[in-house]
Amino acid sequence: MNQSIQTSVDWRKSLTLNNRKTMLVISVFFLIYFSIGMLVDLYIYSGQYPQVPWPQLFTALISFKLFPLVTLVMLSIAAISLLVTFAFHDKLMLLGTEYHEITPTTAQSNQEKQLYNIIEELKIAAGLQFMPKVYIIDANYMNAFASGYSEKSAMVAITRGLIEKLNRNELQAVMAHELSHIRHMDIKLTLMASVLANLMIMVLDMFFYSAIFGSSRSSEDNRSRNALATIIIIVRYVLPVINILLLLYLSRTREYMADAGSVELLRDNQGLASALLKINDDHAENQASYSAAYQQTPHENVRREAYIYDPLQAGIEPMSSLADIFSTHPNLKDRLAAIGYVLKNE
Amino acid sequence: MYLLFNYMGLSLMSIGYILLIAAIFIAGFIVVTYNSLIALIEAIRNNQKQIDIQLDRRFKVFESLINVVKKYMDYEQTTLKDVVALRNQAQQAKATGNEAARITAENKISDIASKINLVFEQYPQLKANENCMQLQEEIVTTENKLAYAKQALNDSIERYNANKKSFFTSMIVNLFQAKLNFDYPYWQLGEDKVAEQEKYTVKL
Repeated sequence: MNQSIQTSVDWRKSLTLNNRKTMLVISVFFLIYFSIGMLVDLYIYSGQYPQVPWPQLFTALISFKLFPLVTLVMLSIAAISLLVTFAFHDKLMLLGTEYHEITPTTAQSNQEKQLYNIIEELKIAAGLQFMPKVYIIDANYMNAFASGYSEKSAMVAITRGLIEKLNRNELQAVMAHELSHIRHMDIKLTLMASVLANLMIMVLDMFFYSAIFGSSRSSEDNRSRNALATIIIIVRYVLPVINILLLLYLSRTREYMADAGSVELLRDNQGLASALLKINDDHAENQASYSAAYQQTPHENVRREAYIYDPLQAGIEPMSSLADIFSTHPNLKDRLAAIGYVLKNE
Repeated sequence: MYLLFNYMGLSLMSIGYILLIAAIFIAGFIVVTYNSLIALIEAIRNNQKQIDIQLDRRFKVFESLINVVKKYMDYEQTTLKDVVALRNQAQQAKATGNEAARITAENKISDIASKINLVFEQYPQLKANENCMQLQEEIVTTENKLAYAKQALNDSIERYNANKKSFFTSMIVNLFQAKLNFDYPYWQLGEDKVAEQEKYTVKL
């Protein structure tokens, strides 16, 4: 309990910190795009002017004495993908899943109505200005996430398995956790970091393959060109690492903060504890089928950092990538301990 | 004094600069504190209104609920009349600014809500009924919304009070008593009410 009080005082601080971090993530994103564009420009112009050393080419490009076409293209791609992220953030975060939105008028069952009621209640408790959009993902595994770039654009998504297997109290605790993410503006940071980072890899892959397999004018063979080709290939493998670092930059305490926020809103830690245990047991029980379900869902890595429960903890690898080794989710035992529950049989 | 500063190598000019910077710093601090306190006060006002909204919503929901329930069971006709009477009491108290009377009246409506829920619990066949489950959910969510609105109000009052009474800020509050110093009562139960609730057990 002590800890939850401690952190509940601090959430406003984490809000400003999250805003600052989001700005930094966006700037780093632009910087990386700029660097890639610049490298390609250097590659092209060094082919045209083999005698000119790189630093001179660089200053020429920067001062527009040579037209930095690829750099500008890359920067506009960066700007467009940022706009796309803002405009279609909910669609992007739900990419690959089967989902539908629920509103008071379109709720199809008592369960859905109840879910909407719960979120409305917690919106009042958290003092949010806007009602987040509510989506149900048609999947059996139990998980939930929140996203958006502001309170107004916020959304929460819940899998059908979660609604069916949790009781009202537990569902309330999970939703309080998600609304805390909205209140702390974790959603903005996770959205930017996961969507921008993943777009980056897609774009880079395009350049990567065209650099390798594209029509290379092999007649103009010179060392500096080869060196630049190597750089691009290296960058292709270094970027995913930067990507991971970007994700690691997501606050490692954000799940703890949201758990504490859930306890603060409900003044009760029991619901959250039993919900987390249920989700964990459920994942362990249905490991094989959930593993297949997660893997069959495309673009699962976009949602990974936003999920309340990282499937990896139950030994399920939702996507096979380097990022799996780095999880920013604390393990279940630590999370339960932080809200005042110590597991007996371990 | 001047000689002392002179000795320390500070000219009158640089002392002036230091004073100016200090004055700007203090003024800035006052402005920031003032603004943040105003924001806190407005948050409290908004939360007070949120309770009004939820009370209003509850009244409307219960009115229709009790009408529906009547069809399902020989539930006392008087309940609806009770709710309406209590509602009138609450509104009168609100109009006269009697916050305490209003709180008691609203709390009595809450009691009626828990009684309706208890009736549901007593009839298993009723509990299984789809319509009644909907009604029950409606009561639970209505009461929860009201409770959370109260909680949010108390939280915002706590934040304001803690801020107002803390050091430095309290000095600024003293400067602008009329604008910054308010005494908002926490939403709470009276002492006799607490004693009564403590003794309360469910009789089936």
